[in-house]
Amino acid sequence: MASTSMSTPQDTRSVPKKQGRAMSDAWFSVLLILPAMIIIAFFALYPLFYAIYVSFQLADLTAGGIKGFVGLDNYRTVLFDKFFWESVRTTLFFTFFAVSIEVVLGTFVAFLINGATVAKGLIRSLLILPLATAPAVTGLFWRYLYDTQFGLYNYFLGLLGLPQPNWLGDIKVALWAVIMFDVWLWMPFVALIVMAGLQALPKEPFEAAELDGAPYFRVLRKLTFPMLKPVLFLVIILRTIDALRLYDAVAVLTRGGPGSTTETMTYYLYRQGLVFFRMDYASTMALLFLYAVVVASLFALRPLLNMFGGRATAK
Amino acid sequence: MKHATKLLIFILLVASLVLTSCAQPTPAPEQPAAEQPAAEEPAAEEPAAETGECKDEDRVQINWSTIAGFYTDAMESIIADFEATHCIDVNIIGIDNAQLYDKQVIELVGQTGAYDVVNIEAMEKAEFAENGFLLAMDDYLKENPEVDYEDIAPIMRKLTTEYKGQIWGLPYYTYTAGYFGRCDLFEDPTEQEAFKAKYGYDLAVPTTWEEHRDVAEFFTRKTGDMLKGVALTKDFYGVGLMAGRFQEIQDELSAFIWAYGGQWLKDDGTLDVENTTKALKWYVEELLPFAPPAALTVTYDGVMNQMKDGQIAQTAGFFLDQWPNAAMTDELVPGARMCPQEAPEKRGYVGAFLAAVSSSSKHPKEAMDWVAYLGGKEAQRNFSMQGGSTTRLSILNDPAMATEEQWPKTGHFATLVEVFESQSDLEENLFFTPYGGKIYNTLGPMLQAAAAGEKTPEQAVLDLAAEIEKICGGPCPINK
Repeated sequence: MASTSMSTPQDTRSVPKKQGRAMSDAWFSVLLILPAMIIIAFFALYPLFYAIYVSFQLADLTAGGIKGFVGLDNYRTVLFDKFFWESVRTTLFFTFFAVSIEVVLGTFVAFLINGATVAKGLIRSLLILPLATAPAVTGLFWRYLYDTQFGLYNYFLGLLGLPQPNWLGDIKVALWAVIMFDVWLWMPFVALIVMAGLQALPKEPFEAAELDGAPYFRVLRKLTFPMLKPVLFLVIILRTIDALRLYDAVAVLTRGGPGSTTETMTYYLYRQGLVFFRMDYASTMALLFLYAVVVASLFALRPLLNMFGGRATAK
Repeated sequence: MKHATKLLIFILLVASLVLTSCAQPTPAPEQPAAEQPAAEEPAAEEPAAETGECKDEDRVQINWSTIAGFYTDAMESIIADFEATHCIDVNIIGIDNAQLYDKQVIELVGQTGAYDVVNIEAMEKAEFAENGFLLAMDDYLKENPEVDYEDIAPIMRKLTTEYKGQIWGLPYYTYTAGYFGRCDLFEDPTEQEAFKAKYGYDLAVPTTWEEHRDVAEFFTRKTGDMLKGVALTKDFYGVGLMAGRFQEIQDELSAFIWAYGGQWLKDDGTLDVENTTKALKWYVEELLPFAPPAALTVTYDGVMNQMKDGQIAQTAGFFLDQWPNAAMTDELVPGARMCPQEAPEKRGYVGAFLAAVSSSSKHPKEAMDWVAYLGGKEAQRNFSMQGGSTTRLSILNDPAMATEEQWPKTGHFATLVEVFESQSDLEENLFFTPYGGKIYNTLGPMLQAAAAGEKTPEQAVLDLAAEIEKICGGPCPINK
């Protein structure tokens, strides 16, 4: 009885009052995101749909703009354009090696800093420095560092009696020079994210492993890396998407050269759109690029989302 | 209360977004006039007036998009002189040379009126004129005979200003090519003796490309080798080349193609594959081995740095307007003495920057006044005294420009006159196709692939031929 008498007022309180003109949570959510959605629609969706429209047109800006429907001609032209495929190959090569080195090196640095006992804050601040400047600006500095005649790298290599490569002029070296620049620029980002992940790991499992006398590498393999996996996965995806869009470093360091060895997709797209003003080809390439990135991201993100989803369910 | 809070948050959010968007009215820095039409409109109808009659508020502002750097720095006093006699403000919009074509085309296609006067390369003239981006100046020049259009070197008139029988602007700066060499090396007795022993003829400024190649090979030496009887402290190279991924590699190759009697574009509108391949093979196989490794990443400024650093003996076909830069070598390298000459075979790249009036200019009359002044005798003389390179024969031949004091600035003028004369019969269809600008921007990267060793010269030229056909949608139209 007591429970019954207690339950009545509780039930009364838990039933929400119906208010005829009141705003529901769902509508309130819609209203909150509406301004952002309007902006996105104007600045992202409209250009996207316009690009789709242009990709089916003959659109040479210097010859009168949009001139008429050409069906799939632009898609055929782009898909049979060997320079486009060369740029795709260059982009994938760059992305694979740049991201791999950044993640491995960044993780290693994160472990080092995490284990440091002094000046941890100072090191963290120094790590942010490359990220604090625009790549276009730091790229200019690097171009001078790479200079075969006056560059510091070759100067020091010369002092050591080592070969002095033509960093930006040799077809075998130039893309690696761009990768080195990208690693310098983005490795700290990876290190900072991984370090944040390391610091967020629960201490109990590691204390237990220590009590059990587990060797360091076994702890790394069985505890640290599995628990760090979501963070590493996220950072790989972020860096991959960003690396696929590489433009500024190429524009500043090599302008796509020597030959076309560092011409990435985005730089080739820029040349088609803003040097040759072939908006039809440029739009088509941009759409193919977008499609590839979205599909790849969905495949890559699915395990991550499942991982986070699994955690939420477990909680 | 809960709903009122939600509404309040929503209103604040919207208000902050609106305020944020209102707080970003920063106009693009290169388009000040386009953002301020109100101040200009009333003055647009008024003719240019003497400065005494001109109030500040009556001044018409015109925007001139041009290359940032020396070209514009030297213009300050010229603009001041112009503004003193015209009720016009000239606003220079300095743009990096690599971006100039792109930015101008975007504004001209959009008919924004952001640029009243544009700066175009000779190869781009036909494209700009054909697409209606420019206003012809024939009538203006007829009404203003004091501009003295005939004073401009005939080859410059033909290639840089004329298209389909009309005049599309005035050249104000020529980058026509000649040759720079270290005459002190050519005159050194030990070098002369060694050269004759090796090649069987006298060492001198080369007059053929074969001689040029021999000179390049002869002077390519390693650290520790002797040069003019002195041991070298760094490697020395026989020739400086602009083989980076820039348009200028095309300018260098033009000299060979024209020397072979060819043109980039044949009369049928297709690439002259035979002569282009021959030229590119010569460049890659016979000259590049004698150039510094940095040749693959540099353009003209890099070559000038190499010259001033005492690294190279000579250039290939090279822009004579760089003389004030090259002449510094005399002071920077002990014992060096630079001399400007015509390019071997008397063929080198020709062209000039053309100042032309945009068809979307809001002040076409005032813009033409400025172009006429800029390309006129008074401004060109002033510009030349500061180190600019003019196309006006009366100034190039003026004895006042040939004095010893003027040598570091105008020492190349006599050579320019010779080049204009030697090349007066030059024919090149590329200057007369409406796709000239795009082709010009394609040539550099495609040709550089061979220089860098990514492709063979034959493959690079075949790729280039296909690309040009793609750009023009078949054989390129040629309209003279």
